[in-house]
Amino acid sequence: MILFKNARIFDGKELREEVSDVLVAGKKIEKIAETIDVTDDMKVIDLEGKVLAPGFIDLHVHFRDPGFEWREDIESGSKAAAAGGYTTVVTMPNTDPVIDIPSLVEYIAEKGRRAGGARVLPGACISHKRKGEYLAELGLLREAGAVLFTDDGAPVKTSKLLRTALLYSQDVGAIIMEHPEEASLTEKGQVNEGRISALSGLKGFPHSAEYIDIERGIALCRETGAPIHFTHVSTALAFKAIAAAKKEGLPVTCDVTPHHLSLDENNVIVSRYHAVYKVNPPLRSREDVKAAWAAIADGTIDAIVTDHAPWHENEKDLPFQEAPFGIASLECSVAVVLDTWLKMGQPVSLARVLELFTSGPAAILPEEWQKLGHIAEGLIADLTVIDLDESKVVDVSTWKSKARMTPWNGEVLTGWPVMTILEGKIFDKGEDNGSNRS
Amino acid sequence: MNLIEKAVVMTEGDMERILRRIAVEIVERNKGLEDVVLLGIQRRGVYLAARLRSILKETEGVKVPTGELDITLYRDDITTLQEQPIVHSTSIPIDIAGKKLILVDDVLYTGRTIRAALDALMDLGRPDRVQLVILVDRGHRELPIQADYTGRTVPTSKTETVEVRVKEFDGEDKVVICERNGGVE
Amino acid sequence: MQWRHRHLISLEDWTREELEFFLEQADYMEELMNRPIKKVPALRGKLIVNFFFENSTRTRVSFELAEKMLSADVVNWSASGSSVSKGETMRDTAWTLEAMGADAVVMRHSAVGAADYLARKLHRASVFNAGDGTNGHPTQALLDLHAARQHLGKLEGRKMAIVGDVLHSRVARSDIQAFRKMGVEVVLAGPRTLMPLCHEELGVAYEADPKKAVSGSDMVYLLRIQKERQEEGLIPSIDEYHRRYGATEKLMDLAKPDAIVMHPGPINREVEIASSVADGEKSIILKQVRSGVAVRMALLYLCLGGVRN
Repeated sequence: MILFKNARIFDGKELREEVSDVLVAGKKIEKIAETIDVTDDMKVIDLEGKVLAPGFIDLHVHFRDPGFEWREDIESGSKAAAAGGYTTVVTMPNTDPVIDIPSLVEYIAEKGRRAGGARVLPGACISHKRKGEYLAELGLLREAGAVLFTDDGAPVKTSKLLRTALLYSQDVGAIIMEHPEEASLTEKGQVNEGRISALSGLKGFPHSAEYIDIERGIALCRETGAPIHFTHVSTALAFKAIAAAKKEGLPVTCDVTPHHLSLDENNVIVSRYHAVYKVNPPLRSREDVKAAWAAIADGTIDAIVTDHAPWHENEKDLPFQEAPFGIASLECSVAVVLDTWLKMGQPVSLARVLELFTSGPAAILPEEWQKLGHIAEGLIADLTVIDLDESKVVDVSTWKSKARMTPWNGEVLTGWPVMTILEGKIFDKGEDNGSNRS
Repeated sequence: MNLIEKAVVMTEGDMERILRRIAVEIVERNKGLEDVVLLGIQRRGVYLAARLRSILKETEGVKVPTGELDITLYRDDITTLQEQPIVHSTSIPIDIAGKKLILVDDVLYTGRTIRAALDALMDLGRPDRVQLVILVDRGHRELPIQADYTGRTVPTSKTETVEVRVKEFDGEDKVVICERNGGVE
Repeated sequence: MQWRHRHLISLEDWTREELEFFLEQADYMEELMNRPIKKVPALRGKLIVNFFFENSTRTRVSFELAEKMLSADVVNWSASGSSVSKGETMRDTAWTLEAMGADAVVMRHSAVGAADYLARKLHRASVFNAGDGTNGHPTQALLDLHAARQHLGKLEGRKMAIVGDVLHSRVARSDIQAFRKMGVEVVLAGPRTLMPLCHEELGVAYEADPKKAVSGSDMVYLLRIQKERQEEGLIPSIDEYHRRYGATEKLMDLAKPDAIVMHPGPINREVEIASSVADGEKSIILKQVRSGVAVRMALLYLCLGGVRN
């Protein structure tokens, strides 16, 4: 049994003002009360007023396993997530082979169970072989344990297929996650279309490319009545469209990444085109970053996801135009969000920020997982402790992830997850420190 | 680097007299001014050469062709210099082949500037002969270089510097000895 | 003035003062080209590697001439890479060169950010950007300034029209930066499909009618139009481009009477520029080439000669 004393509880919706004690027994939250008496069989941890939140959930990570294990694998990824304060992650299926058959879903789930870090929930492909031609066996994939469907890395290839997928997914009980990009407009794109594309001549991702695909999805959602989730939304234009759809009462949800909440195209320019800032969707303008925070404030955004995209240094450390897209950030992502939030003068309530890591993403998951992201007696003890006063430098050399490049390396951030509890067990960050790479 | 003026070596009057004397010597040594070309070494040598030219015009009625030579690109001490060596103009008024070239510089010290000037001249053509006018010889030669016409010889120590000031550039005609920062080499 | 730059990747952080000082030094370097013996020992013993990933005879030769006139040792290295490990090759090659004693690397590469990347990787040697993708070609801008200045004198307050495919042009980007720093008003002309969408970010205006853009200009700068643009569907045909935007004598008559015509070379006769204009009185195209050597000499000398901070 573990007794957490003086915890400031965020239960998934509300952040309490006063502190309480929380008793964890086995895998469950046994009791929550103002004071709980200590007994000999309890390990006592005094949180001294730090926030105790439901274990954070990341709906969008790339663990590169199977097929690209030199970049990351399920074990290193799961541990990285736990080190970063997450207790559940959803893996993207654009591996090699792609996750489009039940046995591969089981592979992910099983390896995740043995990994010793955050819970790994598999995402599966919408289309067979992720080719965008016809549906994969969504029903069987769901039965094998898939929690959402996405062809992420790319948008669903045709409107016809997306409509079919939306209709079918409703019977299967798991949501369609769309990567919003109109591919013909973003061909050969490298950066945001705007200031940086004008200055450098690099081809830009027009904002219309994100907007057009989202309007497509909204129209099909309206027609089919099926829920649709847009991932890593980055432009003010897109947030506006999603807000309007929500106002209309459509089951549209979306998420945003920590990098789109904190960085913009000027970071790329100032860094003299350092590849670490190259990502899809690209870092946008300052105005888009402001719009993202406004979209958090007005409820347009439902969750924060990392879109953790690890690469081997040899693959990522190249001249900007040659480097692949992707930012790795699991182990510092929460700090990036909290630090930015603090530096902006707390534009939204802390509860709102925490919601985006907990109950927000939980609501996107299938019914059996929706209790994640909440704290209540009897629920699974997936917990994250947040210390808003902790200031620490981001140091990739200590990461459990195999990734060794991140935009915030060397930066001091304030506001860190300091303890992760996975099904009642405290994750030990000290053990097997550092690289899992050979 | 702080420079403290220690002594005046030449006044305005001195400079005028010395340049006139050198002008006379030039005419004597070269048996006239035929084929004589003056070449001032940047930067103050250029002004001194111009002065010599006007004195010779006055006394002999001859306009001696006069040019400027920048030797920065020929220096051998580029990597040990404190300041960025800035390049100035080089303009040679006529073909120097077969001419009696007279280099003019303000201070002769280690001799390296003159060596660089000789290298530059080799690349510019083949003069008949090269002579050297120096306003102040301060000793401490590191190469076997000597002046043909010397204004004044002034013994100095290595912590001192000799500053030649000319009206056209510095606002006054004067030669002074300065001491560096408390005499530390 | 204390020269503080070790590399030249972009003219962005050069002050106007530094530009003016530099151009003066280039004037003195040009004088060297008039001498019977075009050589000075200023960079004797320095090893300069011309690292050209992209084909370019003109720029490479221009650099090579500058290097040799300053008595540097020159090694030409061309690499064509299409493999995934291109970057590893570049990084390891860079370190290898430095280990061999290279004092400077002149690099041209098709990737934006390549020169920046190399500068980050080298610990001691200088990097001179001879073109990184569509981003910049700073020595071109310097030679353009040098040549224009020699003809027009003061550049402050003058007007320059840049006509052509600005979207894909590193020459345009660097020139816009450099000429604006010297107080020149720059206006762009050309098909809208070949213009950057947010051109105001570059501090320039766009004029849809090339006649209006050229009207009253002191300098008309023409960019090459490449066949690929027609193939990519950005312009319907080269012929149409020539008719609408080609620099003919008629178009040039709209510029100021003593205006100059410039081009980075090599010219496409009768495409972006009429032969009579290219060879005409207003053209300083060959002067630009001459300035190219002088300017590169000044650059190498200032960055490699003398003590750096």
